[in-house]
Amino acid sequence: MQRLPRLALGLPAVLLLLVFLVLPYAEMITMSFRASQPGAMYGLGFTADHYRKVMTEGLYLDALARSLLNAAFITTACLIVSYPIAWHMSRARGRKALLLYACVASPLMIGVLIRNFGWMIVVNVDGPFNRALLAMGVIDKPMRLLFTQGLVALALVHVFTPFMVLPINNALRNINPAVLEASESLGVSRFATFWKVIFPLSFPGMQPGLILVFVLATAAYVTPALLGGQMVSLMPTLVVQTLIGTFDWPLGAALAVMMATAAMVVVILFSLATHRLMERVRA
Amino acid sequence: MSSVEISALRKRYGEAVALDEVSLTAQQGELVTLLGPSGCGKTTALRCIAGFIAPDGGDILADGVSILATPSSKRDFGVVFQNYALFPHLSVAENVGYGLLFRKCSKDERERRVAEVLDQVQLGGLEHRLPRELSGGQQQRVALARALVIQPRLLLLDEPLANLDARLRDDVRWLIRDVQQASRTTAFYVTHDQAEAMAISDKIAVMKNGRVAQFASPREIYQRPVERYVASFTGEANFLGVQVERELCPGRFRVRAGSAAFDVKGAGPFTPGTKAVLLARPESLAIAGVVAGQLQGRVTKSVFLGAVQHCEVVLPDGASVRLGVPPDRSLPPDGTVTIKLDVERAWLMPEVAA
Ligand SMILES: Nc1ncnc2c1ncn2[C@@H]1O[C@H](COP(=O)(O)OP(=O)(O)OP(=O)(O)O)[C@@H](O)[C@H]1O
Ligand SMILES: [Mg+2]
Repeated sequence: MQRLPRLALGLPAVLLLLVFLVLPYAEMITMSFRASQPGAMYGLGFTADHYRKVMTEGLYLDALARSLLNAAFITTACLIVSYPIAWHMSRARGRKALLLYACVASPLMIGVLIRNFGWMIVVNVDGPFNRALLAMGVIDKPMRLLFTQGLVALALVHVFTPFMVLPINNALRNINPAVLEASESLGVSRFATFWKVIFPLSFPGMQPGLILVFVLATAAYVTPALLGGQMVSLMPTLVVQTLIGTFDWPLGAALAVMMATAAMVVVILFSLATHRLMERVRA
Repeated sequence: MSSVEISALRKRYGEAVALDEVSLTAQQGELVTLLGPSGCGKTTALRCIAGFIAPDGGDILADGVSILATPSSKRDFGVVFQNYALFPHLSVAENVGYGLLFRKCSKDERERRVAEVLDQVQLGGLEHRLPRELSGGQQQRVALARALVIQPRLLLLDEPLANLDARLRDDVRWLIRDVQQASRTTAFYVTHDQAEAMAISDKIAVMKNGRVAQFASPREIYQRPVERYVASFTGEANFLGVQVERELCPGRFRVRAGSAAFDVKGAGPFTPGTKAVLLARPESLAIAGVVAGQLQGRVTKSVFLGAVQHCEVVLPDGASVRLGVPPDRSLPPDGTVTIKLDVERAWLMPEVAA
């Protein structure tokens, strides 16, 4: 009788995970081992050929490496942009704090398509951004920004910022202000206090932020597809092309599994590397 | 290791006056306690001295030089915070050595000094623990060691014992006093516990609503308080309403309480014929046989505590006094007693604060 209610409490979570995580992944992994057959989703029998192909052909390996590096770059940029925002947010009180929360969350309030069409309009050759720069005399002919990787990075940093700002803000708020006064009274400059005290103590917020943004950036499809054009092949683009372009579902599944595995390996390595720090600073 | 002079310090938070013309001095090596009830401005005063907040007016001098323009990080004052404020991610040794990291101090010397001060506060062997792995008393001692290791010019302690149990409180209090005296560090100590203040201080500033009601040695504060507030905040106190008859000689007055007359000490000046308050601590009162010219009263309560019994006696004018009686002494069945006042230990105060 004791155990039953507890099991019952856990049941919804277990069901949720089963239906939305375990079953789809199981299906995807199964699919990745099926044989391909032109003209059909998949053929008869099972094979490991797709993995052999995915792990030996330069096209796929390059795309994977580029995707991971790209994600790492976006994550770093996101951290650099987010930290000062999180800092100000953690100091703000009352209405100002509320306003900041709204501003930070604003990228998530707009649907992905609308947001990206917005970017297209803003950076268009005769869009407001170019016109403003022309008017100020910074440039003498309009810049072509659409379909560049810089714009993709900018747009992704923009939309992922809330995932970085919010947990860091939370961690910064949890730092006892007296600890900073203690550091000051011990004759330590603000700069040194930041690196010795604030930065490590905010790590419990940085870690989830970094992981979340990295995973999201690795898997981002819509924004690169809309704003980056088709010149650079990234993993998610390849997966989609394989699935709905060449209609080779087993190969597409193998690519997707490889991408997810690679991202997970990076996350696990990162967690292991920061495990000691995390142990020290956990509340 | 310096003398500190605080003059006419003022601080307001909006409408609330946190500090009102606070003036204090601490000679080199002295421990000065700020004593007062919650919200009277003790922490505010300490934070002004530490440099965490700027006062609205007044000045703070260290060795004769104003430090108001000096940022906290350049004042060289060691602060012990009420809730310790240890660095949660640093070990005991790293916490204590933190203040030396950015000073001209070699690694060897730093380690030596950390070991030395940890030894002083009896924390040897715990160097590698994190603060969350320590008991409250141990954390308190780390906080003390961290402030001491930089050999501060001034030590500031904000209710350092508030979170400790009674036993530990005693130990750490003696430790603080010993270490402070051994290093001859000038210190300001904040507490709202009068016994703690009495035991540890060279001087006590009793604070009331942002003002210093009295600033003097513990003995002076206890025996010769300037007003009722100070007397009642520094220990058990009985107040008798009396009428001043005349000044016998400087500092001694004849007063009348009902039918009894006493020649008591007081600071004066008192105008003959005016009302005044006579402070009689419980230890200056005793129950005597019937003696003329003494106070009569009726025992309304008595509790036996082992070593003494405490009585509450109501006087004819309705005032009640508390006193201790030897435990073997039996009280008269009708409760009527005569109270003998030791006039040398009583103290005459004006009705309202000067
Ligand atoms: N940051 C602040 N903003 C507004 N009012 C404040 C602030 N800090 C203190 N006060 C007010 O100033 C007065 C003195 O506060 P302070 O903290 O110095 O009291 P304290 O004597 O240390 O009390 P306690 O024994 O409770 O710590 C209080 O009335 C308090 O409400
Ligand atoms: Mg306080």
